[in-house]
Amino acid sequence: MSEVNSKIMTANEAIRKFVHDGSSLILGNYTVAAAMSLVYEVARQQKKKLTVYSQSGVIDVEVLVAAGCVDRLVSTYVYRGGGRAGGSAVERALQAGTLQMEDYTNFQYNARLVAGMHGFTFIPVLEGAIETDLFRKRTFLGEDKYRVINCPYTGKEILTVPAANPDVCIVHVQRADKYGNAQYWGALGSVAAAALCSKRIIVSCEEIVEHDVIKSSPHLTLIPAYRVDAVIEIPWGASPTEVIGYYNLDRFMFSLFAMACGDAKAMQAWMDEWVFDCKDREAYIDHYVEKFGSGTLDGFRAKAFYSAPANYGAAFTSIWDGEGRERNMGVTMEEFEKFLKEKGALYE
Amino acid sequence: MSKAYTLEELLIITVAKEIHDHENIILGVGLPTTAGALAKALYAPHATLMMESGIIDFEPLLPLNHIADANALRGFAYATDLFSAFTMAYRGFVDVCFLGVAQIDKYGNLNTTVIGDYYKPTMRLPGSGGAADFISYSKRTVLTLLGGEFVEKLDYVTSPGYLEGGDSRDKTGRYPKGSGPSMLLTTKGVFRFDPVTKEMYLAQIHPKVRIEDIKKVVPWDLKISPDLTETAHPTEEEINFVRKFAPAQAAGRKLMTELVISNLQKKMQQKTAG
Repeated sequence: MSEVNSKIMTANEAIRKFVHDGSSLILGNYTVAAAMSLVYEVARQQKKKLTVYSQSGVIDVEVLVAAGCVDRLVSTYVYRGGGRAGGSAVERALQAGTLQMEDYTNFQYNARLVAGMHGFTFIPVLEGAIETDLFRKRTFLGEDKYRVINCPYTGKEILTVPAANPDVCIVHVQRADKYGNAQYWGALGSVAAAALCSKRIIVSCEEIVEHDVIKSSPHLTLIPAYRVDAVIEIPWGASPTEVIGYYNLDRFMFSLFAMACGDAKAMQAWMDEWVFDCKDREAYIDHYVEKFGSGTLDGFRAKAFYSAPANYGAAFTSIWDGEGRERNMGVTMEEFEKFLKEKGALYE
Repeated sequence: MSKAYTLEELLIITVAKEIHDHENIILGVGLPTTAGALAKALYAPHATLMMESGIIDFEPLLPLNHIADANALRGFAYATDLFSAFTMAYRGFVDVCFLGVAQIDKYGNLNTTVIGDYYKPTMRLPGSGGAADFISYSKRTVLTLLGGEFVEKLDYVTSPGYLEGGDSRDKTGRYPKGSGPSMLLTTKGVFRFDPVTKEMYLAQIHPKVRIEDIKKVVPWDLKISPDLTETAHPTEEEINFVRKFAPAQAAGRKLMTELVISNLQKKMQQKTAG
């Protein structure tokens, strides 16, 4: 692979290029390692009328909804700040009628992505949910939220959901190479399915590493280069959510957000300061350090606990041995070609 | 005199006893993960702790922030994905799951989605997450209701308990026989479900709580077990474990917040003085 294949760009470029008004956008991460700097960029570019897919919304969904980017939300779980007395941007938008939400269970949502990722048009899910309001109450998907069929083999009633193939996925990982091979570990959630079911994939990572690093640990590659459209190196790119091996949850910033999100004005002020007035993640970190000192963030840095390396070595790396003889036929290249000529196997 | 405990410690210790050795356990965040850590340390060393994020077979070193918190562990034995965590339950490999509740009815059906009208919510709650599927297929489900309420009719049925009671859950043919909620823990007592009618009854009452206190918050004529017991005083070992492992949880949200705020103020004063 060559420099020509490099997909490295900035968050600003990637979002400008691949996320459009009216796009369906899937948030690839589940609870941890949320692609926060990409989410903030979508908010800053004021993308409109998005259909957002989220396995489990935390600060990411709240920011996008509060920024007015989202018309439709497909999810299983949304964040609420401050318990019963608090609230959320999602709640305010539902009450105002500016947001429609389609509720699934964690499994059903993930199953829609799995169907999409493999090219199926639908997938069976666990039928117990037929007895719930998840099944009975539907919003923008209507009849197509679920359909019930009979198993062609047993006749049993089967609940199904349609495949999802969102326009674009934004996802944060620990490391990637410049071609887009993206390695992620920890709580796997539905990260692979979210990325692979999408038409386009934008990857942000804590660090860009050499291609050799990827080749020595392919079991960690969740998203292969050939599917990826953009790679952006963004240290602290998921903060205030955590990335295993890099940093913990920034409890301090998360509390500031959690205290704000229950109230529209407070949320706007928090967003102005930390989303709109910081043009990128570097500016966010600068502002953070300026305001709270560098010790606060440093306190969240992970100490290393390395995975035992998996050995990808083999007995030899060439079919020709140290003396230049082919390992099974026992001949050198010169002897081999002579042999082929003698046997009349070479065409002049 | 045995060692004094907080209500929160009592709740965690009570619920931990629902975990038996060699079982596979799906934990929810908060009280259940601490209960899981306690059970594994004291009663059920061979239990396998699992979370729907795909973190399977782990030993928490500190209280978990949420169900994808690998930062509270030092590695774990099996990394799978969310999809497989649920099909595991579907196949029958999950013995117990723990779920939090916002609204519950007398047959253990649950609402964690919305208060008021689904389409114009008075209050939007988190939603199903894994709840509806786990309560469908786990052999037993342990429910915790801490800030929620008992109601005649749920505003929204997120997760199936015993449906209309009796054999209505089994009759649908959609659930493993014998599955469903096995216990509900509240700040006042422990409730279980009648084996025939599937109606919830009060089985156990926490110290210093009167039956009237409980009846007051239950809108139907709550049945009381003829063998009603009082929740046992926890052992010193149990109290010490919870207090050391999850001190903030042992204190409860209100007292914990008080300490956090005074700690912050102290730090600010030091900074200003320095």
